[in-house]
Amino acid sequence: MADNKQMACMTCEPKGLCGGKGLLTLKEGAWANNPLAIQVLGICSALAVTNRLENSLVMGAALIFVCVGSNLLVSLLRKVTPYRFRMIAEVAIIATFVILFDQFLRAFYWDMSKQLGPYVGLIITNCIVMGRAEAFALQNPPMLAIVDGLANGLGYAVVLAIIGFSRELLGSGEILGHKVLSAQWYTPNQLMILAPGAFFALGIVIGIFNWLKGPEPQEKK
Amino acid sequence: MKNNVYTLFYAGVLGTVCSLLLTAAASFTKPYQQANAKAEKNRNILGVLKVPYQPGASSQELVKIFEDNVRQEKLGELDIYRYVPPQDSGADETAAVSFEGPGLWGPVKGFLALGKDMRTIRGITFYEQEETPGLGGEIAADWFREQFVGKSIVDAAGNPGIIISSSEGEAPNKVDAISGATMTCDKVQAMLNEAIKSIVQEKQ
Repeated sequence: MADNKQMACMTCEPKGLCGGKGLLTLKEGAWANNPLAIQVLGICSALAVTNRLENSLVMGAALIFVCVGSNLLVSLLRKVTPYRFRMIAEVAIIATFVILFDQFLRAFYWDMSKQLGPYVGLIITNCIVMGRAEAFALQNPPMLAIVDGLANGLGYAVVLAIIGFSRELLGSGEILGHKVLSAQWYTPNQLMILAPGAFFALGIVIGIFNWLKGPEPQEKK
Repeated sequence: MKNNVYTLFYAGVLGTVCSLLLTAAASFTKPYQQANAKAEKNRNILGVLKVPYQPGASSQELVKIFEDNVRQEKLGELDIYRYVPPQDSGADETAAVSFEGPGLWGPVKGFLALGKDMRTIRGITFYEQEETPGLGGEIAADWFREQFVGKSIVDAAGNPGIIISSSEGEAPNKVDAISGATMTCDKVQAMLNEAIKSIVQEKQ
């Protein structure tokens, strides 16, 4: 039933470049199929860099940039890429974008680059980026691929920002380095800055996302 | 056969385009990155020499503070960075010597700050290390580094060398090792002693 409804919607959407389908893609990536909260992909970096909100935001921006860039290029090249060479091509394209971002950080945001350490470079191995290139960009036109990259990057960035926000707030009583919870009545909970805090925060966020989204249609029966 | 040729051609073109992009980016950002690396080194030297500076200082400011306060000298083969504080500040003259060597996982680099006598340790810093976080990585932690302050680089009999060991007993040239990080501690001890040997040789 739900499937039929969706099908009907898809066919009656305007056939514009990014009309209804673009919106659907955006919603799918950022919400209904959120890479972190629903698919639980790429959590390694999400756990490692979220001890401060600033780090989380930069990491989210990095993923949006890489996802959009690699999706666009993979989609543009989708008709000329030999099928059995496609994964190597995807990795090469992703790696190029990641290193571009890393170089940029090193040149202009040195402190941030030092704090993120190897995790920027490790975006190359982030399943979200490769997954979107393989599952979406290879089959879809460039504009839609950009939207999909943006949606998934945003989905990742938003979840990261939520985790980073709560960890920094509870762990050090600060937001973006500004004291908001006075030390007089709030004792920072060190646990939230350490690795276990990341697991708690991520688990709670995943729980809330799934609760808001409701159960899968098949599970309802 | 034709397929293979096409794949190879495609790989060649893609590889060339990607590497050209990266080369362009690398050469464009190189001056900025070098300035950052230099400021980072200066920040470490300033820190170990205890030169006062604003924590949020930019790269350019750091380079300036460094040039105003620190003199680079040669002591035999060694490069030393000497800080002569203003008379009224009450701080003592300090000299920093760089040391480096292999750690457990990668190179370890740092600076050792000595007092005017070139025997008493004023501070130590590790600005590059990839030791196991929580174990060997603790060499960069404050508690480990602060142990060195006030220690001597020669033993009671005047022989050069510092000991990083968990064994009992106090000595003017001994600091506590990190439990669980024997390999890292041994390697750090070896690289420090190499530097110390040349300092003592040059400054008898």
